[in-house]
Amino acid sequence: MATTAPQGTLRQRSVAGSKNKDGASSDVELDKLVKAANQRPKAVSENDHRIAFFIITILAFITRFWGISHPNEVVFDEVHFGKFASYYLEKTYFFDVHPPFGKLLFAFVGWLVGFDGHFHFENIGDSYIANKVPYVAFRSLPALLGALTVSVVYLIMWESGYSLPACILAAGLVLLDNAHIGQTRLILLDATLVFAMACSLLCYIKFYKLRHEPFSRKWWKWLILTGFALSCDISTKYVGLFAFITIGSAVVIELWDLLDIKRPGGALTLAQFGKHFAARAFGLIFLPFLFYLFWFQVHFTILTRSGPGDDFMTPEFQETLSDNIMLSNAITIDYYDTISIKHKETKAYLHSHPERYPLRYDDGRVSSQGQQVTGYPFNDTNNYWQILPAGADDKQLNRHIKNHDLIRLRHVVTDTILLSHDVASPYFPTNQEFTTVSLADAYGDRAADTLFEVRIEHGKPNQEWKTISGHFKLIHNPSKVAMWTHTKPLPEWAFKQQEINGNKQIAPSSNVWLVEDISSLPANHPRRAKVAKKVKTLPFLRKWFELQRSMFWHNNQLTASHPYASLPYSWPFLLRGVSFWTQNDTRQQIYFLGNPIGWWIASSVLAIYAGIILADQFSLRRGMDALDHRSRSRLYNSTGFFFLAWATHYFPFYVMGRQLFLHHYLPAHLASALVTGALVEFIFSQDAVEHEVAHQAAKAGKKSQTPKHHLTARERFAGQSLFGSWVATGVILTLVAAGWYFFLPLTYGYPGLTVEQVIRRKWLGYDLHFAK
Amino acid sequence: MAAVNDRGPVVTGADLGDARRRNVPGTPQTVAVVPEPDDKKKVKKEPSFLEILDQWEWIIAPIVFTALAFFTRLYKIGLSNIVTWDEAHFGKFGSHYLKREFYFDVHPPAGKLLVGLSGYLAGYNGSFEFKSGETYPPELNYTFMRQFNAFWGAICVPLAYWTAKELKLRRNAVWLVTLMVLCENSYTTISRFILLDSMLLFGTVATTLCWAKFHGQRKNSFEPEWFFWLFMTGLSIGFVTSVKLVGLFVTALVGLYTIEDLWNKFGDTKMPISTLAAHVGTRVVGLIILPFLVYLLSFAIHFAVLTNSGPGDAQMSSLFQANLRGTEVGRNSPLEVAIGSKVTIKNMGYGGGLLHSHVQTYPEGSGQQQVTCYHHKDANNDWFFYPNRRDADYDAAAEPRFIADGQTIRLLHSQTGRNLHSHQIAAPITKADWEVSSYGNITVGDEKDHWKIEVVSDAASRDRSKIRTLTTAFRLKHEVLGCYLRAGNVNLPQWGFKQIEVTCTKDNKPRDTYTHWNIESHINEKLPPGDPGQYRSPFFKDFVHLNVAMMTSNNALVPDPDKQDDLASQWWQWPILHVGLRMCGWDDKIVKYFLLGNPLVYWGSTAGLGVFGLLTVWYILRWQRGYRELSQFDIDQIHYAGIYPVIGWFLHYLPFVIMARVTYVHHYYPALYFAILTFGFLTDWFTRNQKKIVQYATYAVLDATVIGLYIYFIPICWGMTGPNRQYGYMKWFDTWRMSDA
Repeated sequence: MATTAPQGTLRQRSVAGSKNKDGASSDVELDKLVKAANQRPKAVSENDHRIAFFIITILAFITRFWGISHPNEVVFDEVHFGKFASYYLEKTYFFDVHPPFGKLLFAFVGWLVGFDGHFHFENIGDSYIANKVPYVAFRSLPALLGALTVSVVYLIMWESGYSLPACILAAGLVLLDNAHIGQTRLILLDATLVFAMACSLLCYIKFYKLRHEPFSRKWWKWLILTGFALSCDISTKYVGLFAFITIGSAVVIELWDLLDIKRPGGALTLAQFGKHFAARAFGLIFLPFLFYLFWFQVHFTILTRSGPGDDFMTPEFQETLSDNIMLSNAITIDYYDTISIKHKETKAYLHSHPERYPLRYDDGRVSSQGQQVTGYPFNDTNNYWQILPAGADDKQLNRHIKNHDLIRLRHVVTDTILLSHDVASPYFPTNQEFTTVSLADAYGDRAADTLFEVRIEHGKPNQEWKTISGHFKLIHNPSKVAMWTHTKPLPEWAFKQQEINGNKQIAPSSNVWLVEDISSLPANHPRRAKVAKKVKTLPFLRKWFELQRSMFWHNNQLTASHPYASLPYSWPFLLRGVSFWTQNDTRQQIYFLGNPIGWWIASSVLAIYAGIILADQFSLRRGMDALDHRSRSRLYNSTGFFFLAWATHYFPFYVMGRQLFLHHYLPAHLASALVTGALVEFIFSQDAVEHEVAHQAAKAGKKSQTPKHHLTARERFAGQSLFGSWVATGVILTLVAAGWYFFLPLTYGYPGLTVEQVIRRKWLGYDLHFAK
Repeated sequence: MAAVNDRGPVVTGADLGDARRRNVPGTPQTVAVVPEPDDKKKVKKEPSFLEILDQWEWIIAPIVFTALAFFTRLYKIGLSNIVTWDEAHFGKFGSHYLKREFYFDVHPPAGKLLVGLSGYLAGYNGSFEFKSGETYPPELNYTFMRQFNAFWGAICVPLAYWTAKELKLRRNAVWLVTLMVLCENSYTTISRFILLDSMLLFGTVATTLCWAKFHGQRKNSFEPEWFFWLFMTGLSIGFVTSVKLVGLFVTALVGLYTIEDLWNKFGDTKMPISTLAAHVGTRVVGLIILPFLVYLLSFAIHFAVLTNSGPGDAQMSSLFQANLRGTEVGRNSPLEVAIGSKVTIKNMGYGGGLLHSHVQTYPEGSGQQQVTCYHHKDANNDWFFYPNRRDADYDAAAEPRFIADGQTIRLLHSQTGRNLHSHQIAAPITKADWEVSSYGNITVGDEKDHWKIEVVSDAASRDRSKIRTLTTAFRLKHEVLGCYLRAGNVNLPQWGFKQIEVTCTKDNKPRDTYTHWNIESHINEKLPPGDPGQYRSPFFKDFVHLNVAMMTSNNALVPDPDKQDDLASQWWQWPILHVGLRMCGWDDKIVKYFLLGNPLVYWGSTAGLGVFGLLTVWYILRWQRGYRELSQFDIDQIHYAGIYPVIGWFLHYLPFVIMARVTYVHHYYPALYFAILTFGFLTDWFTRNQKKIVQYATYAVLDATVIGLYIYFIPICWGMTGPNRQYGYMKWFDTWRMSDA
């Protein structure tokens, strides 16, 4: 190792002569000894907290609900989430990248007030009044959750044992935050998300405080509630995963301490530890997952009609929806049917015409000079192909074609047979050319090259091949290339039609084709007769898995740029907001923006916290100990937990490739408010010297017999002045309130502002409207 | 003595510290003597032949391994006489050095300079174009150039031997690690061509060795040998990052080690502050300044060699170009610009290109003709200065009218006759800015074609009444919208051919060099020729400029969904050896090379990483449960011979997981080396307490399998002649496409 000096010495700074019996998380000890040391009367009433909590909750409801009916038009992403609620009410299947829980809540509200979902929230600015939409009811839900979020923030601080000013400060920062207010007054998912995230923190703290009574009823209750809150979080949006990381990290640390052989409360046996582990895995992973699945079950149960989301799903899935065009129009294909084949991705038909491939292409390569086979997007008789069996041309009718059958395709107009061979295609030297040959050749020397295999997507062996619903790949049998086309048009010699070639990579979905119609069947042919609708069913897990995959895939595709998208680095500094809504005649606008003063204070406090921790680590490393035992424990464990919540809700965005917006910072901002409250208390209150003395004394010997319970702030700060904290809280909240009030017109959308007023609010060059 | 805290990189609060203190008492003083595990044949008294062999193993083994390495890397190296795979690139860059023509590439120059050197030594004059798949001309001694490259690949083998030894693996494990590097088919193949990868691999292996050696000297701080290995580490870091920027990952490994080391020293309160400062200082010099100087040096040589104008000119600033031999820039072009002058306009930001337009239109927004910044010289970069629509029309016969600061002009694209134009439509990528397009023609148009010239500075003169070729930096302000023309190194998608987006930015930031432009080439027959290129751009500015340009175009290598690239592979495919890579055409006449690793090395090392994770968790949990089964020596061994290689693997692997660029199998090779070291450590660890017979049996089986598989797959490295179907026996999976069978 690196050094020559014994490292042990520098570790001994804290308490000379102590036996170091306690390791991490010394709260346990702490509780006991302080209890023992100051035998103060336990007449601790928490009435002041109750009053403060009550007032803040009232204020939260006022700020969230005030003027909620304005504007009476569709605002920003209400376009999406309002629409989804309508789809639920109409029971039509839709597709979205977010899980269903948050949207189901809106649908539930709509159902309660009797809305039938007739309005589809098509455009920003559509009138709610004219369309008779109970939008106030819809908006009440996020407003309610948003208001309760403030209360939960207060409770988190209170439960964590912070003093009155600290609780008020943290709750006040969220209460008076324009971003939280703005985002929770509209039909958006974030209110649910932030509320669930805050609840998960609260429940976990409650659970953690019960750690001395493991497996008690209350312990189980809070464990399961934590899991439930987490589940609601992730079932609203996938960023809820970050809350799992927060709680998960805390649980891992907790388990690590439980595993400690020298644990203060006595070592656990491995069996006991296993029980702890299993209980947490059950409550925080297994149950949340079940809840999560449950919402999908509800989702599928409600959405039974086909709708705009059909196209995202496989044909099998679509067959489970009623009123589905696929189901009603699919016809089983027989040999000797004449069909038109359409490329699923580019919508071009398989086409051929008498013109031939040129002898030599521009790059000097030569072709077979065979008849051209192209992709053509319009209806044409040259798109007709007749299916011939692989064997002799026996003219046996009424035989269905099955998955993996070998077929030949006869181009009806030119009476030639489709073929592929080892000649490079016009554009791709790596891909095979497609052409046609005469019947004589096709049944002569070229027989093998005219055989194609029908490979139905996700098909079972012997599954029948159907029009429209039967997506398939056409695999050239001898060479195993898949028929493929792409959008780059061929030159003039092929009339700028699409190139058809044989793709050596069979897997890509761009090789998928479908039979659009059987043109040889008259319109009234019995085979076209529609069978009575029979909706099929699929096992839930299969539907869920398919939807899940599709959601993740589309989520990753959300990379298109948006004029108001922003990057994570800009969020803590609040460099830019998002324009939600504008109205020209009244000069009103909603500009989604946090309270700059509140955000900047919270962000600087985060930096101060990081600085304190670093300074503490460095000084410890040099053998200097500047903090008393209890302050450090609070700083690392409680405030550290809030900081962890902030970090886990913030930094993962840096590696996310998708479009990001300012509102993604809201959960992290809530955590930063918690850190602010906690740190202001840490900085502005004096250390309780007597406690430290007591702590030393207790450490030296006797074990207290007092029952374990958590310290309330009143106990911790008994007899000492909170004056500093109060002043700091007062100053900060006054500033924050001023900032909040100043930006209110942009948050509530009225009154309209004059040019000068708008310009005064362009603090960091915020791109507000109506600035001239 | 051994410090306790070296055990893990975890540094948390005070609380954890207590837990860690536990084992201080009674920790034996472990001395860093390399344990000599070789106790075979101790019974005999007289030195037998085996004993002598044993005694001289330290010299015999490396020699034998090196000889084998040279044999496997050089055997039949000239068999294929066609330009294979990326030889097309790197051979070409080598040619540029020989012709001394300025070119541009995303990689730093050291590796390509060496390729150039090998060409020089081979007596090659740089005239061959290195087109992919072409046959080498008889006068080009490509065999020598390949041998030169193979040298770096072969040297990796003894370096791996010494590294494993320095990491205190027992002899059998050392041999196993060396064999795994030696008998690694993908390493063999990649080293046999004119590519940078063998040099990159050499740099990575060498840096690891120097780091291990430096670590081995930790008790001898400030001794000559300690200094030697510190500076060697610095040099090899400098070398490897100058070959490819992937070298930064191994640099990060050394960086992490240094931070941990210094953190330990920082905690040593007995160490005088001056000593601590000396430790920090020497590392700053040895591991930061020295590598940076090497990196700078490679660019200095690059600039010194490439004095002729070449294909990469347009990447550089106009002043730099003016100083290249044979350039058009600044030669005989009139000094002062007038109405009617035909010019090219260069963006002055780092990595800026020439203002460009082409007939293709924007697929969204206005749908008008695209305006971009382009890094190659092309007639589409030419623009005419025209008077604005209020002034008198341009009269070719009249006296030239010079253009002054503050004057409003139009810019007319010479190929399409359209005006540079902007309007209130969001730009395609940078949505906050306005789109810039080409619109109308000489007569058709409006005042949105008007741009006002605002001179920022002029290196030649204080006179603002004229703007000058090369020396005047100016901004172009859109008269109607008040925005400034900007090209901010944002690449357009495929529809814009990955060229740089040009926008009109609403921010008025006079210092933003991406809004600064200068006239690069200037043609006006009515004006007397001048020589504006007499000013030189400083080396450091060129250096930064070139580096920014490299970064920008590296970012442009994102996968293109429109393009089918069956050579590319994805990160998850590499550790499980899912695919290989065809390095050339697959005709029967061509000698075919297939890039695929030794299955045991890949699968074994990947499994080893998982096993190592479990092993670590196992010991940590046991530790927390109070088991004290590991001695300080054991802990150190896990720490330095196990954890650091695993960190090295992550550092070389994770970036490719996150990176959105096109990736190929060979991007995994540096990471594989660290996985091999981990595998060696694990084998050593698990056999350390076994009976001799078990040990030898394990190693014999592993060694034999590695060698056996290597020989089994050797045709893909040495070249497969004849029809590929006869090699079907190697095709264990469909994705191993060495044969079409």
